[in-house]
Amino acid sequence: MQQALKQIDSTPAAKAAPVPPRIEFRAVSKRYGSAGKADSVLAIDGLQLSIAPGEIVSVLGPTGCGKSSALNLIAGFETPSSGAVLVDSRPVTGPGLDRAVVFQQPALFPWLRVIDNVTLGLKCRGAKPADYLDRAHQLLARVGLAHAARRYPYQLSGGMRQRVQIARALLGQPDILLMDEPFGALDYQTRLAMQELLLDLWSEFRPTVLFITHDVGEAVFVADRVVVLGRPGRVKHEVTVPAPKPRDRSFLTKPLFVELQAQLLDAVQREARLGLVSQVPNA
Amino acid sequence: MSRASALRLPTWAWSLLGLATVAAAWTLVTNLGWVTETYLPSPQRLGGELLTLLERGYRGAPLHEHIGISLWRTLSGFAVGALLGVPLGLFTGHNRTAGALVAPLVAFLRPIPPIAFIPMAVLYFGLGETGKVVLIAFTAFNYAQLNAHAGAAGVPESYLRAARSMGLSERQIFWRVIVPAAVPQIFTGLKVAMALSWAVVVAAELVGAQRGIGFMISDAAQLFRIPVVFIGIACIGVIGLLLNAALNALQRYLVHWERHA
Ligand SMILES: Nc1ncnc2c1ncn2[C@@H]1O[C@H](COP(=O)(O)OP(=O)(O)OP(=O)(O)O)[C@@H](O)[C@H]1O
Ligand SMILES: [Mg+2]
Repeated sequence: MQQALKQIDSTPAAKAAPVPPRIEFRAVSKRYGSAGKADSVLAIDGLQLSIAPGEIVSVLGPTGCGKSSALNLIAGFETPSSGAVLVDSRPVTGPGLDRAVVFQQPALFPWLRVIDNVTLGLKCRGAKPADYLDRAHQLLARVGLAHAARRYPYQLSGGMRQRVQIARALLGQPDILLMDEPFGALDYQTRLAMQELLLDLWSEFRPTVLFITHDVGEAVFVADRVVVLGRPGRVKHEVTVPAPKPRDRSFLTKPLFVELQAQLLDAVQREARLGLVSQVPNA
Repeated sequence: MSRASALRLPTWAWSLLGLATVAAAWTLVTNLGWVTETYLPSPQRLGGELLTLLERGYRGAPLHEHIGISLWRTLSGFAVGALLGVPLGLFTGHNRTAGALVAPLVAFLRPIPPIAFIPMAVLYFGLGETGKVVLIAFTAFNYAQLNAHAGAAGVPESYLRAARSMGLSERQIFWRVIVPAAVPQIFTGLKVAMALSWAVVVAAELVGAQRGIGFMISDAAQLFRIPVVFIGIACIGVIGLLLNAALNALQRYLVHWERHA
């Protein structure tokens, strides 16, 4: 039932979906620098995409196709050049507590202990430690870092750091989790464990997730729906992943996974080649 | 085999060996008379002169007073310069308008050796303490401001974005993200500022001072008391090292995370 709704929702024509989307891109374009200038870049061009509450959407696409730009628009770090970026039907005007971000780049503060990194936001908003400390420790335990609360980020492995970032993001109980290649720097085994963890946490908190990745298998594994962007940012290909969540690594060998992975790999490679061809005359 | 193990000496042993070699060469060339005493006194002669200095002082003031007054000038000037320069640098690095406002001035002043301002300091403030302290404060200020600015301006965008999406106010972002993130670079600036302040005090004391290490050196040179000149130079070197070591220790304590970055 929910699956059917989503499929209707994902076709651009379906405006009258019963559930209003949590996130919506309406004919969004993003240009860096002013048009006409030599160094201006059209990063996103007419992006149309809506994401239902509680849905996990993976975004694939060649490098430079505007994936991060799209995420930054929802996060409120950037503003669209034209079109509208909506969260719960309201235009995004800046960063907000309803949206939490997990970055690929180092975004934990190296001068703060893990527990202080996780709770900084609540502390700065004036919450009392008694109201959040227990929950913070529970969340750290949930991501397997109960023992590391008093450590500094430099004393953690890459995978542990990303788990801290996820705990930090979830502590504020956001409706939306924005993840920009969160596991990109991790080895295969760690990455797989993190994908499973993400799905586990999703069952618990049910956030809407926008998940950017370069890894086609990862995109299929975590998502209800995978979109492939072409350059400059617009949806070129889209598939739903009709498999229940949470999933474990046995899903990786199911015919459905293998079939979708192959199909998406083709789509991504097509976009990457198109990108190369269109770049030649400019170069 | 024995050669391989000889090469595996700890690094401090190599450093010691380097020092010992220089000391041995110095002893040798002075005692064999290859260099005249006038140009390069022998170690035992310097030692004797040091004892005399410690006992009788130089020109009516004990050695520690010469050192003390130079240190006081340096540290008070350094403190004033750093206390003004660091906050201003953090502000100009964080605030684009303020940064643009001071950028040309800072760019113009930076390459001028502070020593070039000595005549103006004397003109404005006379030959007393004020002129020297102001000159050193000015020197320290330039480097403190420059590096605090660079530190605040270079805070990774991902830190700022993370802070914003966690709901920190602009004020909280400044104090809890920008300031700590800039601390390593601030220390880089303070170490340069300290080294230059120490150099400038010596130069400033060449003009119109009655006490201080710089005065002792220039005065002794005019009187041709070369061993005193050498002792003065050695004092400057050792104290410069100690000042830098003190800042390094403070940095290791405050910026514990940088050692592992
Ligand atoms: N702040 C910016 N200023 C100018 N150009 C930018 C900026 N951010 C991104 N761009 C440009 O916009 C285009 C899209 O960048 P974006 O980072 O969104 O791509 P991406 O799909 O995330 O790439 P990757 O997969 O390599 O992370 C690129 O051509 C990039 O150079
Ligand atoms: Mg990106």
